[in-house]
Amino acid sequence: MNSTPITASNASLVSCHTCHLLSRLGPSQTIGRAVCPRCGTSLHRRKPNSIARTWALILSAYMFYIPANVLPVTVVTSLHKVQSDTIMSGVIYFMKTGMWPIALVIFIASIFVPIMKLVTLTYLLVSIQRKSSWRPHDRTRLYRIAEVVGRWSMVDIYVVTILVALVKLGAWATIKAGPGAVFFAAVVVITMFAAMSFDPRLIWDAMESNLQND
Amino acid sequence: MNEPNNNKTLLANVPDAVVHTKKSFSIVWLVPIVAALIGGWLAYTAISEKGPTITIAFKSAEGLEAQKTKIKYKNVEIGQVESIGFNKDLSRVVVTAKLVKGAEKYLTTNTRFWIFRAHIGTTGVYGLGTLFSGAYIGVDPGKGGAPVLEFEGLDTPPVVTTDLPGRHFLLNAETLSSLDIGSPVYFRQIKVGQVVAHNLAEDGKSVTINIFINSPYHKFVYKNTRFWNAGGLNVSVDATGVKVDTESFVTMMIGGIAFETPVNLETGIPAEDGDRFTLYRNHKSIYEKTYQKKAYWVLHFSGSVGGLAAGAPVKFRGIQVGKVVDIRMEFSMKNKAIRIPVLIEIEPERITVIGEQPKDEDRLKITEHLVSKGLRAQLKMGNLLTGQMFIELDMQPNAPPQSIVWSGEYPELPTMPTPIETIATGLARLIDRLDKLPIEQIGQDLQDAVQGTGRLVNSPELQKALHSLNEALKQVNELAANLNTDTAPAVGTTLEQTRKTLAAVEKVLGSDSSLNQEARRALEELAAAAGAIRTLADYLERHPEALLRGKGNSQ
Repeated sequence: MNSTPITASNASLVSCHTCHLLSRLGPSQTIGRAVCPRCGTSLHRRKPNSIARTWALILSAYMFYIPANVLPVTVVTSLHKVQSDTIMSGVIYFMKTGMWPIALVIFIASIFVPIMKLVTLTYLLVSIQRKSSWRPHDRTRLYRIAEVVGRWSMVDIYVVTILVALVKLGAWATIKAGPGAVFFAAVVVITMFAAMSFDPRLIWDAMESNLQND
Repeated sequence: MNEPNNNKTLLANVPDAVVHTKKSFSIVWLVPIVAALIGGWLAYTAISEKGPTITIAFKSAEGLEAQKTKIKYKNVEIGQVESIGFNKDLSRVVVTAKLVKGAEKYLTTNTRFWIFRAHIGTTGVYGLGTLFSGAYIGVDPGKGGAPVLEFEGLDTPPVVTTDLPGRHFLLNAETLSSLDIGSPVYFRQIKVGQVVAHNLAEDGKSVTINIFINSPYHKFVYKNTRFWNAGGLNVSVDATGVKVDTESFVTMMIGGIAFETPVNLETGIPAEDGDRFTLYRNHKSIYEKTYQKKAYWVLHFSGSVGGLAAGAPVKFRGIQVGKVVDIRMEFSMKNKAIRIPVLIEIEPERITVIGEQPKDEDRLKITEHLVSKGLRAQLKMGNLLTGQMFIELDMQPNAPPQSIVWSGEYPELPTMPTPIETIATGLARLIDRLDKLPIEQIGQDLQDAVQGTGRLVNSPELQKALHSLNEALKQVNELAANLNTDTAPAVGTTLEQTRKTLAAVEKVLGSDSSLNQEARRALEELAAAAGAIRTLADYLERHPEALLRGKGNSQ
């Protein structure tokens, strides 16, 4: 492999998303908005403002994650007995009553995966901004895993919505979604957007600039 | 075709992109800003709406669950149990609970907490809903008192909460007699209140029962209202038949109290919260007047006190003023004499004083004054059938002067002998005198007189004299007949006069003459009297009480 691999940005070429026309865009022309000469769509060499956006979204996700876990996700009213559960208390309840697989699923989907996503993205951003060259291949893989798995966190939300829709038995049993569910959904959606707005190519860009500076 | 050339051409034909200037600030930062605002607001509300944290100590945590059990007031949730633990020596369960904001003003030393579980009380079944929804902690916010955050929980829900309008009263009773917390209080057989608490008085001589009367019935309780124990059944059998009386089924099971204001001469002042009353045993006894003050006196009777028992009434002119408390027999070693002191109890309040109320010292002076005027105590027969005696106090104007004896444990009132005693002594004296009369002698003398007179009247001399007179008259008649012709007119008149004289004499002295008759009658009556007196004397010797009772049927 050459020391400086050929990338489109190195060759000052940009491909249009819509009509796939190659057009010339110098590396100095990163400020401003480039438009395809043929179709007029905005041209992006990298995802626009990737780092800033990802940071913003990750921070929001962090901030929403606290109420998502503190406020109750489900409020079950059964024969005048009101019981509100957070995500963690639901996991513990399933564990205590012996339903290990369900507890495991909920734990992985609602607690492990969001945390993992947030931590991964945070790490990637930090590593890019510090221009680290640690295992780019693995980092990219990490990013891919986070992006794919992230959407499965919504399982918990779907369960809550189905329960709310189905369990409307009046005084016998009624389930309502608590405010924690809203915040948790917000967390999942925001992390999804954060993963979407993260440009993994920046990993390599950072490494290249690192190599160049060396 | 030359590939590299194509590439170069291709690459050479790449047009330039058009560049517009771009804003530097990205709109995406709105997201974390909004997130920060939302998070901040959540945190703020969580902190600002934090209510006070309190600890309540209970005997047991039965029915309580950490993080789940609620604290409710009037069924509105005002807090939740956070954690349950123990106090230092493991004697009480300490429940830590968080209340909503604004509850601080209800947390005073008078606030009461209790665990509301399903339970069966004396007056019904409560709290069945808690079997499903779980127990909760009830609260009764107290009024007044210092604000405090540590409480002692009650074991059972209180019978009366502070916001229930009404009044508390205290009743003194000798025994608790089947009353319990929750026992109903009736007025005209409507339940108007209930027993709230009961405890033994400090000296152990009575029970104090705390009752609560709901409004608006508390205004029917006056200072002279009488409360009585209405529990159970009242069965009475008398001349009109059998009567069974009870307030209600509930009182038969768990007892109850009833009250009414007897109509009497006292005016009704409404009773105040916390007033004390006496609990009477039953409905009848509320009409007996009871008096607090008691004065004790000792009486000494010289005669027998047979028929007098403790509890016998002491009356003044027929109205009861007290009762006999104790009768003893005392033997004085000094005098070698037996005395029978009788201890009586006088209730001076039975005598309503008109005018200025005397003080206690003045009462004794008044009694001394009365004694000097002749107030004495006497034994009297109360019931001829049973022979029961009672003590009667009365003013005896003829009593020999005596005064109160103050020596000894109790002051002594002077006594007078009973009427029976005076009768007995008078009777004995009469019999004595009758004994002394020489009745036989009188009888004998009378008999002699009668006999003498009879002899005189029936004597043959008198008969002879009368007979001779008759003969003389006959002869004179013959002479007169003979002389009638001769000296008829003179002799006739003389004879006439003589005849008249003799007739008069016969009238006076004849056997059926009035003098004779009267003499005989007088003698007869004397004889009869003498006989009667003898029989009377005889009879009296055998039955001296006939003087009192007469012959009657006491033969």
